[in-house]
Amino acid sequence: MSLDYLLLNAIVAGLLLGGFYAAVTVGISISFGMLDVVNIAHPAFIILGSYIAYIVNSTLGLDPILTAIIVLPAFYLLGQGVYQVFYLSFEKRGEEALRGLAFFFGLLFVTEVVLILVFGVDYRYVQASYIGPTWRIGFVDLPSGMLVPCLALDASQPCRGIDLPLRMLVPCVVALLLVASLHLVLTRTFLGRAIMAVAQDQQALRLLSVDPIRIKRIAFGISIGTAALAGACLIVIQPVEPSVGREFIGRIFAICVLGGMGSLPGTVIAAMLLGIIESFTATYYGPSWAPAVAFGFLLITLAVRPAGLLGR
Amino acid sequence: MRSATFLSAALAVAAAVFALALLAARNDYGYLMFAGFVVLQYVVLATAWNILGGYCGYVNFGTSAFFAMGAYTVVALHKLGGNPGRYLSGTLAEFLIPLFPLSMPSMILAGGVVSGIVGLGMGYLTLRLRGVFFAIATLALAVVLQTLVINWDFVDGSRGVSIIRPGRVSVGPVSLSYIEYLFLLMLVLAVLALWIARLIERSRLGFGFASIRDDELAAEASGVPTLRLKLIATTLSGALMGMAGAPLPYYAGYVEPSATFGLPYAVNSIAMPMIGGTTTWAGPLIGAVLLGTLQQIATVTISSVVNLLIVGLLLVVFVIAAPVGIVGLIQEFLRAAAPTRANLRSIALIAIASYCFIAGILGIIFSVQAIQAGSAAVAWLGVFGLSAGALCLAASYGLLKLQAWGPSLATVAFVSAVLVALAQIWLGGGFFQAIPIVVPAIAIWYLQTRDVKLLYRGCTQPVAA
Repeated sequence: MSLDYLLLNAIVAGLLLGGFYAAVTVGISISFGMLDVVNIAHPAFIILGSYIAYIVNSTLGLDPILTAIIVLPAFYLLGQGVYQVFYLSFEKRGEEALRGLAFFFGLLFVTEVVLILVFGVDYRYVQASYIGPTWRIGFVDLPSGMLVPCLALDASQPCRGIDLPLRMLVPCVVALLLVASLHLVLTRTFLGRAIMAVAQDQQALRLLSVDPIRIKRIAFGISIGTAALAGACLIVIQPVEPSVGREFIGRIFAICVLGGMGSLPGTVIAAMLLGIIESFTATYYGPSWAPAVAFGFLLITLAVRPAGLLGR
Repeated sequence: MRSATFLSAALAVAAAVFALALLAARNDYGYLMFAGFVVLQYVVLATAWNILGGYCGYVNFGTSAFFAMGAYTVVALHKLGGNPGRYLSGTLAEFLIPLFPLSMPSMILAGGVVSGIVGLGMGYLTLRLRGVFFAIATLALAVVLQTLVINWDFVDGSRGVSIIRPGRVSVGPVSLSYIEYLFLLMLVLAVLALWIARLIERSRLGFGFASIRDDELAAEASGVPTLRLKLIATTLSGALMGMAGAPLPYYAGYVEPSATFGLPYAVNSIAMPMIGGTTTWAGPLIGAVLLGTLQQIATVTISSVVNLLIVGLLLVVFVIAAPVGIVGLIQEFLRAAAPTRANLRSIALIAIASYCFIAGILGIIFSVQAIQAGSAAVAWLGVFGLSAGALCLAASYGLLKLQAWGPSLATVAFVSAVLVALAQIWLGGGFFQAIPIVVPAIAIWYLQTRDVKLLYRGCTQPVAA
C-alpha cells in the first residue's frame, strides 16, 4: 500500500497554516472587503498583538491566546480611535485614496520602528503547554485495506503517519472559531447586518436613521480586535520580530481578494488554498520560495479574476 | 521658463553644488560626498515616485523593488564583466564580450532599462484595476522580486555580494576619486529626473496624467488613453528608480537583498514628495533635500532607527495636517497674503516659517540626542528643547496657515529656542550657537511690527509707510 505521506503531510500542514491565515485575514476582510478602508497597517496591529502576548507571557506566564482574549477590548478601542482619525482626516474630505494609503503606510512603519526601538530586532517567542508536542495520526494497514487512524502522542517513534503539531493545530482551531463566530455575528445580529449593509449602500443606511459612520467605526474596531487574536496565534506558531508583519501584507490581501472581498467563507477557502500551495512549495522546493508563491498568487489573482472566488 | 533654459540653469546649479562639495570634502575623507550621494539618490527616487504617485495619483509602495532591481542588474553585470568568457558562449558572446567591463554610466542605463521593463510588466498586470489594487500589488512585487534575488545563486543570494570600489577615475581632464565620480553621476541623474518631471508637467502627457488623477472615468470617457498613459508613467518612474539604485553596489561596496529591498527606501520615496508637495517638480526636490539632510544628521547624532521614526511620524503628521505639502502650503499662503504679487512681507514671513520649521526639527533631533546621551542637566535641557521644537513646528504651521495665533505662538517658540541656545552656550557651545539667538531675535522683532499684526487679523494689503 503506497500512501505518499509526504504529500499527505504537506496537505495537512497547509490546512493548518490556512486556518491561521484565515485569522490573520479576517480583519482585512472586514476593513478592506466591507468598509473599503485600505488598512495596510493591519499586519502592524497583528505584530503589536504578538508582542503584547509575549510581554504578558514572559512576565505573568499567562497563556498567549487567553491574553489576546483579555486585551481584545483594548484593540477594539484602538481600532475605533484609528478609524475616527482616518474618517476625520481623509474620508470626510474625500481624499482617502492616495493620502489615506500613505497614512496607513506611515502607521505601519511607525509601529514597526517603535517596536524595534523598544524590543530590538531579536526574535521573541512564548511558552505554552501546547507548543512542544505533536499528535500523530498513523495509518495501520488492515488486511481489508481499510485505514484506521490511531492517535499517538509520542512523536519520536518512526512510525509513518500524519503529524499534527499542536503548535499549528491550536491556532488553526482558534482561528476557525473566530471566523465562525464573526460569521454568526455578521449574519444573525442587527449590528452585523448593519455592517454588511454599510458595505452595500451607506446612503440607504442613513435613510433608515442608522449612522453609517458609527457602524463603520464599530466594524473597524472589530477588525482591529481580531488582530489581537491573530497576533497571539502568530507568536504561538513562530518566533516574532517587528518586521515579520511585512510578509503578511501580500498574503492577507491575496487571500482577501481571492476570497471575494468581504466574504468570510470565501476568506477561509482562499486561506486554506494559499496555505496548501505554500506548504507544497515549502515541502518540494524549499521554504525560501514560499513568500514568492503567495505574492505571485496575488498578482495572478489580480490579473485574472479580481472579483475573487466568492466575489460579489 | 523654457525647458531648455531650465535644463541649463539646473546644470549650472548642479555644477556649483559639485564644485562646493569638492571644496568642502577635501578635509573630511569624503564624508560629505557619501552623505550627499544619499540625499541626491533620494532626490531621484522621490521625483521618480512623484511621476506616478503625484501626477497620476497611483501609490507605489514598491520603490525598493525597482531600486534593488537596478542595483542587482549592476551586480550581475559586474560579475559578468569580471569573467565574461566563463558565463557567455556561442555567437552572442562574440558580440558581448568586447563590451565588458562596462562603464558606470552604461550600467546605470542598463539598470534603468531592467527596472523600466519591470514597471511596464507591473503596470500591465494591475493597472486595469482600481488604484488600491495597484498599491497592494506593488507591495507584493517587492517581496516576489526579493525572493527571486534571495534564491538567485549568481548574485550570491541572501549572503550578499561584495564589490571593491575602483580607486580613481578620470572624467575628461580631471581625475576624481570614485565616490566623487558617483556623486557627480547621481547629480546628473537628479538634474535629468527633475528636467523630465518638469517636462511632463507642462506637456500633454502631464495634463493627461492630471486628468487620470482627478477623475479616471471622466478622462477615459473623454478620450484620454488612460491605460497607455499609466503604462508610460510606470515605465518611466520604474526606470528612474532603477537608475537611482544602479550605483548602490559601488557606493556601498556590499549589497544584500533584505537591506536593498528594505522598507526605508519605500517610505522615504513616499514621504518626501508627500511632505514637499506632490503637484510640482519642486515638491519632491524640497522634500528630499530637507528629509535626506535631516536623516543624515539624525543618523550621525542619534541612530539610524530613530531617523526612520522621524520620517514616519512626519509623513503621518503631514498627510493629516498639511496634505498639500510644503510647496502647497507656501502657494496657499502667497495666494492669501499677497494675492497680486509676492511682496517683501510675505517673503519674510515665509523665511521665518521655514526657519521655524527647520529649527524645530533640528531642535527635536538634538534634544533626543541630549536625552539619550547627556548627563541629568543636559537631559532636562533636552526635554525642554523637545517641547520648544514641537512649538516651533506648530508655530510655522500657524504662520503659513495665517492663523490668528500664529505670530504669538511663534514668539513663544522663538523665546524658548533662545533660552535653549543660551543654556547650551552656558554648558559650553561654539561660535555657531550664536545663530539660534540672532535669527530668532530678529524674527521676534519682525513679528511685532504693525504690518504683520494686521495681516494676521485678516487684512491682506500692506499698509503704506
